[in-house]
Order: sequence, then structure tokens, then C-alpha cells
Amino acid sequence: MLAIESVSKQFRAGNYGVRDVSLAATSGVIGLLGPNGAGKTTLMQMIATVTRPTAGRILFHGTDITKRPNELRRKLGYLPQDFGVYDNLTAREFLAYFAALKGVRERKRLQEMLETVNLHGVAERPVGSFSGGMKQRLGIAQALINDPELVIVDEPTAGLDPEERVRFRNILSEIGFGRLVILSTHIVSDIESVATEIAVMKDGRLLTVAPPEDLLRTARGHVWTTTVSSDEFERLRTTAKISGAVRKPDGVHLRIVGTSPGIVATPVEPELEDAFLYLMNSNGSPPPA
Amino acid sequence: MIARLSAIVRADFLLRFRRVSTAVVFLLLGAFAYVWLPPASSGRTLIQMNGHRAIYNSGAVGLGTASLGMMFVGLFGYYFISNTVRRDLHTRCGVIIASTPMRSLEYLTGKFLGNVVFLVTFLGGFMLVSLAMQVVRAEATLEPLVFLRQYLLLTPSIITLVSAVAVLFESIPRLAGKFGDVLYFFLYLGLFGLVVSNEATGGRVPWTRYLDFTGFGFMIHQLQHTLHTNEVSIGSSTFDPSLPVIIFPGLSMTRDWLAPRIAATFLPLALLPVAALFFHRFDPVKAGTGAGKTNRRWLGKLQNLIKPIARPFTALLSAPARGRSFFFAIWRDAALTFTILPVTLLAFVGISVATISAPRLSALPVIVAVVAVIISDVATRDVRAGTLPNLYAFPRLRENFVAWKFASAFFLSVILCLIPLLISSLTARVPSLLSGIFFLAATSTLLGVLTRNSKTFIVAFLSFWYLVVNDKGTSPLLDFAGFNRVATMQTAFLYTLLGSVALVCAHFTHRLRLAR
Repeated sequence: MLAIESVSKQFRAGNYGVRDVSLAATSGVIGLLGPNGAGKTTLMQMIATVTRPTAGRILFHGTDITKRPNELRRKLGYLPQDFGVYDNLTAREFLAYFAALKGVRERKRLQEMLETVNLHGVAERPVGSFSGGMKQRLGIAQALINDPELVIVDEPTAGLDPEERVRFRNILSEIGFGRLVILSTHIVSDIESVATEIAVMKDGRLLTVAPPEDLLRTARGHVWTTTVSSDEFERLRTTAKISGAVRKPDGVHLRIVGTSPGIVATPVEPELEDAFLYLMNSNGSPPPA
Repeated sequence: MIARLSAIVRADFLLRFRRVSTAVVFLLLGAFAYVWLPPASSGRTLIQMNGHRAIYNSGAVGLGTASLGMMFVGLFGYYFISNTVRRDLHTRCGVIIASTPMRSLEYLTGKFLGNVVFLVTFLGGFMLVSLAMQVVRAEATLEPLVFLRQYLLLTPSIITLVSAVAVLFESIPRLAGKFGDVLYFFLYLGLFGLVVSNEATGGRVPWTRYLDFTGFGFMIHQLQHTLHTNEVSIGSSTFDPSLPVIIFPGLSMTRDWLAPRIAATFLPLALLPVAALFFHRFDPVKAGTGAGKTNRRWLGKLQNLIKPIARPFTALLSAPARGRSFFFAIWRDAALTFTILPVTLLAFVGISVATISAPRLSALPVIVAVVAVIISDVATRDVRAGTLPNLYAFPRLRENFVAWKFASAFFLSVILCLIPLLISSLTARVPSLLSGIFFLAATSTLLGVLTRNSKTFIVAFLSFWYLVVNDKGTSPLLDFAGFNRVATMQTAFLYTLLGSVALVCAHFTHRLRLAR
């Protein structure tokens, strides 16, 4: 469905936002993972035809969308990062506006979408009075209003409370059937339960694209757990890569990521957060699977 | 396509008409109509010709109010409507729009139509209130069609021009901000001057009639030919009650003006494809909002050039402001302008050189205008940058925000006008210049606090400045900064008083908001 071929985005100052990224996907949820400034948003914007790549091609069903963007736009749902709303419109009016722009005429589709995102009870309220989570749910409703084949969601859970975050994750997992969803985030827990594939970006480059199981496999043998004193913990913080620390009565329980823990520790099965940290610290090149 | 266009128009309409400021403008319309149609017993009237009062029939009231509405739309309409693309940019809804199949020209046409609908509704409301006022004054039978004809003859061209220019300027990043606001003002004055001077000299250059977007050329020509006089005053003015009243039938279309009026109404549509050509379509790189943004505007390039020179100057200026007192907070905020806008240093040098090289402070009108534009966003930049909550956490700034911002703007103006102030002290004009600066700093703070954008102040200031410059010293009370060399101590006192009232209003508005 979607093929990204050696895509780069070089800015006028000469620096690269995205460099030589290639990726192919058919359906399911792709989690685009990377630290802030990795180039996720720029890549998303290029796929969404908002900005053009300076090199490479993006093919959607075989059509180069850098030349014929409308081929994709008709089948695209996009929720950008830091999505805002028109405060004075009601949720229904807001949704109706984007439905019209996308050529959706069925009024019952509006109601369906409001129900999908559980906003039907507040459909006549001005969206300016909505919480951050409600606004994001309205954002996903507008992205889905045209029943898109490709859904692009950029950092949708930033700033949401844990309950809203879970609710949003559930919506994403529901919409992932039968279409391609690309979800970018720097929070691993956002995608670990919903992503069928995970693409990891760093410094504008794509480090790897793999199912979560394969990513976990790459970190196998490189994650340890141990319990240390508070003093030891302070020392380890500067020398080891710690993916988790919990203070308990017997000391601080740590998860350490790396080829060697630098302390007596027990190897454990890696989690996605560990695998991500391991990838981020392998100098830009993915370790052999 | 129709569904998309109507969706844009509808959304813009709802967004605009649910704003408090729109309700305030409509309330003011009613007040204006009341003021402009005073009863004959008051000694004032809407239209007078050589001292004769025009009776309040539909022709006269229609013409008078339509021409005032036309002028209001031309001068201020742009500033009301030129925020619709920017709103989509700031909310990032524009990025979603860019990812839909909607073509750029389609989107911009929708925005243009949204502007037209807003201005038509605005003028329609004004017309209805004026019509009601004619009924209230009850001097002649109401003729709605004659009334409507005045509006149809005069206003469509200015509505389409303002709507199209707003879309064009919003589509070009370098014209979408303050520079575009100032440029529009002079564009309007240029077009106004072109047609008015042509008609005043007998219409010697016929093609300029096709550029009569303001409608004034047509109006002047028709008045000259129907009333055989150039001495017509429109707006609340005095008349001679001993002279007989005149009956003005209103304007009518003549064959020689048909093509120019139609052309002036539709020519602005040609700006839409030009706008589409320049439109950034919310591409973060072109719009200068996203990662890797580069300041490609000429002003940005100039800023980058000046930065290395401005940096030591700003450091020098900020050096004494090391403490935590309120005074140092003022000082720092004033110095911050040089950091945010390094071109301010260039303005300082330019003002100083112009003052020294131009005889008898003749460059003062331009200097005052430059200072006003620079200080216009001192009171609003924190709202725009979203830094207000951080600033409110500092001691005393939350409660004394108005005093802080005013003092910063005033201090900055004094720095910029240091040389003019020194030279004017030699010519005893220093009180008028100081009071003028005080007045500007106070009103920019008031309007900034009230509207939370710098546009209102720029428009109000430029209109007032234009009035004062063209007064050429006839009215000493208008000479607020002493650049017509007729300001007296009363003038200085008046503008100090007005500035103080503005500050009190701003302070209470701010405190009221805090209390909510």
C-alpha cells in the first residue's frame, strides 16, 4: 500500500530533517518511535503530503504522491502534532466542517464518528471547553471521518493523563483493522500493545523496522536486573543505561540495558522500552537480530 | 466544490459571529448611526452643502451612511478579517486541510467568500440601523430601494478589494504580519488619493476610474454633477439653519460609470490566483513554522545581519538591570525588544541620524510613526508567545502588568527618541514630544491589553497620524507630538491626561480579568 523510497528532507540551512529513509507497509499499526528531534514529524508530514521531500519517492498503491498528492489525500486521515481546534465551534460543527472539506456528505457518519470517540454526549458543546483528551479524540474523529485507508497520527498522547492515554490507545487498536495506521511517539508504552511493526528513528535516519518480537529479540541478553543501595544507584546512574528503577524497602530495583551491566546482575527478558533504549545506544546502527 | 466552499464560509461566519468583539462592533454601529443622524435641532446634520442642510430622505441618509460605511470597511475592514488563514496556521487545522484533496485556490476562494460574507453582513447591519434611524427622524418617507441603491453603488468594490487583499497578504508569509498591516494602510491611501485627485481635476485620466475600489471617485463625480458643488460635507457637521434645506435624491448609475464600477468590483478577484501562487499550503517550511524553519523574509535576513551588532548593545543596555526590583524588570523588558527585534537598533541609528541631518526636526512625523510600530507589540508579545503564565510567577508582574508594560514601552520610546528629545529640548518642544511618547505608550498598552494583538493599535495610530499630518498645523490640539510645531502646553497636558485615562482603563481591565 505504502512504499517510501530513499526519502530525504533537507532544509535550506543545509541540515537534514529526514535522511535516506526507506520503508514499505501494507496494513496494521506501525509505531514510529524515536526521541524528540529524530525526524518523525517531518517524515509524517511528507507522507501526509503537507511538505515535499527534497529527494526520494513516496508511493501509495504505486502512485508517486509527491507528484500526484490528491491520489493519497482522498484516502488519508491525518492528526497532526499539537492539534488545535476552533474554540467557538461545537464538536458537531467542527466535525461537519472537516467532513465537508473531505467530501463526506452522509450526516449519519458524523454521529457514528462522535459515538466511536465517545463524544456524542457533548456534541453540542463548544470545543473550546473540551479537555486535552477530548480534543484529541475529536481530532481522531476528523481523521477517520472519510473512512481512510491510511491514518497518520503524530504524537497523539502528548499531554494526556493516563486514563485518556489508555482510552486513546484503545481507539487506535480498534481502527487498525483493515487499514494502515502510522503512529509516531517517543513514549514506548503508547505503541507496545497496538503496533504490529515498529520503526525506530534517530537523527533523521531510520534505524530499523521490525515486529515488536524481533526488536525484543535484538535486546535479549542485554538486559539485567539487580537490587542496589541508594548510593550505588547514584553511582550507576552516571555509568550505566538504566531503563527502570523502583525504590523498595530492600533497596533500589534496577533494570540495566547494555552489553555488560557493570555490576552483579541477573539477565532478564527484555521489554520494548529496554529494546528501544538498547537501539538508541548502539551508535545509530541496529544490532544484529 | 460548492459544499467545500460553503463549509469554509459557514465555519468562518460562525467563528467570527461568536466572538465578543464582533458583538461590540455591531453595538457600536447602532451608536454611530445615532450620532451621525443628529436631530436638526442639535445644529448638526449628516450632509450639508455650502451650509444648506440635506433633509433626511432615503437618498441623503443612504448616501451619507453608505459612504461612511465604505470608508470604515476600507480603512478598518482589512484588520478585522485578515486573520483567517493565520488562525488555521496557529491551530494547525491548516495542516489537516493541506492533507485533504482541497485545492489551494479553492481554499483561498472559500476564505475570500468568508470575508465578503462578513463585510456584507457588517454593512447590511449598518444599513438596517441607518434605515431605522431615518424612520426615527421622520423627515421624509422611507424609500428602501433608494436606500439600498446607495449601498449597491458604493460599497461592493471596497468589499471585494479588502476581502481579496486580506487573502493575498495572508498567503504571502512576508506580508502576513505587521509589515502587511502597515502596507495595506498606505495601499488604501494611495488608491484613495489616486481616484480623488483625478476626479477633483475633472477626471482627466479616465482609466483610474477602473481602479476606483474605494468608491470615492464615483461619489465625488456624481455629487459634482448632480449638486454642482465641491463643498459637500458628509458626517456629523454644522449647518446654517437660516438657509433653506435641500432635497438630495441620492446617487444613480450613469452609463459612463457602469463599466468602471463593475470592473472595480470584479478586478480584485484577479488577486486570488496570485495568492494561490504564493500560498504556503501550510507547509511548515514555507510558512516558517516547523522544524528547520529558516527566516527567509527580508526582515529576517536583515535581523540576522544586525544581530551581531545588536548583541553587545543589548548586553550593554541590560547590564545595569541586575537586581530583582520592579524597575529593573521594566528595564529588562525594554532591552528585550532589541534582542527580539534587532532591527530596533537600526531604527535607533536611523532616528538619530535623521534627527541630526534633517533641519528643525522635520523628520519627526516619520520618527514617531517608526517608534509607534516598534512599541506596538510590547504589551501583546507575551500573550502571543505563551509566556504570560511564567511571567505572572515573578514578583509584582501579575498585578502590575499594565504599569510594567507601559513603562517598558515608554522607556523604549525614550531610548529610541533620545536624540530628538535632546534636540527638541533646545527648541522648547520637549514637553509636546514627551507627552506624545507618553500618549503612544499608554494607548498601545491599553489597546494591547484590550485586544491582545498589536493590530488595533497600529490601525488606530496610523489613522490618527494621517489625520494629524494632513492637518498641517491647523489645529494645535491635534499636534500630539509637536511635529506640526503648533502644540501648546494645553496640547501636552491634554495628551498626558488622555494617556493617563488610557492607563487607568487598561489597569482596571487587567485587574478585572485577573479577578475572573
